Amino acid sequence: MASVRFDNVTKKFGAFVAVADLNLEIRDKEFLVLLGPSGCGKTTTMRMVAGLEEVSSGDIFIDGDRINDVLPKYRDVAMVFQSYALYPHLTVAENIGYPLKIRKVPPQQRARQVEEVARRVELDALLERLPRELSGGQRQRVALARAIVRTPRVFLMDEPLSNLDAKLRVQMRAELKHLQHELQVTTIYVTHDQIEAMTLAHRVAVMNKGAIEQLGTPKEIYNDPRTLFVAGFIGSPPMNLIDGEVKNGTFINGSLRVEGLGGTSLRKAVLGVRPEDTHVVAASEAGTSMVAPIYSSELTGESTLVSVQAGDKLFTIRADKNFVGEIDQKIGVKVATDRVFLFDGESRNRVDF
Amino acid sequence: MAVTAQTSVVMPVRSRNRERVLRWLAYLTIAVALIVTLFPIYWIAANSFKTDIDIFAVPPQWYPEAPTLKHYVETFVERPFLLYALNSFLVAVGTTIVSLTFGTLAGYALARFRYPGRFRYNVSFWILSTRMMPPIVTIIPLYLFFLFFDMLNTKSALVIAYTAFNLPFATWMMKSYFQDLPVELEEAAIVDGDTRWGAFLRVALPLARPGLAATAIFCLIISWNEFLLSLIITLTEQSQTLPIGIAGRVTQYNTYWGEISAAGFMACVPIMIFAFIVQRHLVRGLSFGAVKG
Repeated sequence: MASVRFDNVTKKFGAFVAVADLNLEIRDKEFLVLLGPSGCGKTTTMRMVAGLEEVSSGDIFIDGDRINDVLPKYRDVAMVFQSYALYPHLTVAENIGYPLKIRKVPPQQRARQVEEVARRVELDALLERLPRELSGGQRQRVALARAIVRTPRVFLMDEPLSNLDAKLRVQMRAELKHLQHELQVTTIYVTHDQIEAMTLAHRVAVMNKGAIEQLGTPKEIYNDPRTLFVAGFIGSPPMNLIDGEVKNGTFINGSLRVEGLGGTSLRKAVLGVRPEDTHVVAASEAGTSMVAPIYSSELTGESTLVSVQAGDKLFTIRADKNFVGEIDQKIGVKVATDRVFLFDGESRNRVDF
Repeated sequence: MAVTAQTSVVMPVRSRNRERVLRWLAYLTIAVALIVTLFPIYWIAANSFKTDIDIFAVPPQWYPEAPTLKHYVETFVERPFLLYALNSFLVAVGTTIVSLTFGTLAGYALARFRYPGRFRYNVSFWILSTRMMPPIVTIIPLYLFFLFFDMLNTKSALVIAYTAFNLPFATWMMKSYFQDLPVELEEAAIVDGDTRWGAFLRVALPLARPGLAATAIFCLIISWNEFLLSLIITLTEQSQTLPIGIAGRVTQYNTYWGEISAAGFMACVPIMIFAFIVQRHLVRGLSFGAVKG
């Protein structure tokens, strides 16, 4: 029911620039994920929408209304905090009903709405408990219920899943996605977990040092990274990024040699290739990119991650789950040339070939 | 160090003995501390029931052998003990309310707001620095101040003077309590649609209850027991507080130990009752469960 737009937004803390000249439009009903390492400005960006941080320069619009100077209470956004920030002296019902109480919703209607939301997130049996009597997952649901009880214009979620254990996180991730689809509320979601970003987002904005490195659908971000930072940040295990030199379309770094890169020449280049775009072949096979001894071999269940030494870095290959290899055994590595990325070692941008 | 650790594993009996000795040592320390702090109160209580002659008995009478209520009758009937107590009560409660109100507001502001430039570090220190001189230094200016405003011999003058001394402490105590509260709780309230003031009132303040209780006890005890300022500012029975009234039984010709003991013992009672009521609020950890799992 609302779009959010950032126009040249900058946020400074003293001399430190947390967000630099940000331009971004979040569409109505969109699930946008701000992804980046800690300190990249993603949380600050979100807090400016909530009104918890002032904008140093530039403008933020919700539905075309400039909200820079609008008090948080008039912005009609809801936020889920990383720490949940439940009111410890209030019961679950009072916590969920707090936004309604502030808006002077009559008690009977309030109770009805709280119950309805509590049922939705399966908290209806715990309404009289205090937050300290709940498990981590239940607290998370209370925080969520408090946000959705009043159908705000925008949801803001600040790493809401990071305090849950791995199993619960996967479950809540699915529930969140379903809930957002059902409620159709524009959502800005902050995380440093690229899997959360890939699975949840309609679009991902990858942030680094206060600026957006790339904005696109998870597929675009994964298949078409524009910068070295994005390439290295997305994917698990991460993309192999090997420093080297390109001469007439051939990348060389010690034992690694990848041909067929057009007619490019670059003195300082970084070659990027995802583990799943590489294959293990016999050391004697013709047309290998590299022949090297196995450094380690890890079975993850659905595949085997084989790593070899390439220059001073480890190079990971996603091999078949049935692959068996001993450490120090010599193998050949084949790289799918059409799935290789080349980055300029100076500008750190991608070089097309 | 490594050797002791090893012996404790090899010879558990010895380490258990050592633990027992340490525990008894701890009990002994507590016992000594209790005797040192509680004996004077017992001695006052015991003396208040003794006859004037028994108070000076050698060797001392450890308990009143011929108990009498004489000193209590003197204190409550012949002396205006209840008037002094009422004055003390009004002054102490007034001081506590004023100090707590302003101390809480100031403490919250210092804990939560960013001050520009150098003020950021200096404001709280400046507030505390007013307590760094001995109170007696301020007596002459305070006396002249109250003289000028015709406030000598009034309880309001005492409330003002005591607040001046309690407020810095109240501010600092409340500041540290508010700093311990996770700021996200108030941020959540603000995003939920509350005002800053509402977030303070409905979220921060209820969670600072242990701090409020501790600060209240502190203010109450300080003003209940205060002697020096009261001695200078009040001269009439109508305005004097308990400590002055009690000290008044040390006269030119005689020191009425029995009456002093009875009044002194009675003066402890209200504070003890108050501390007893408030102590359950002192339990910390109310904010557990607010953040993290």
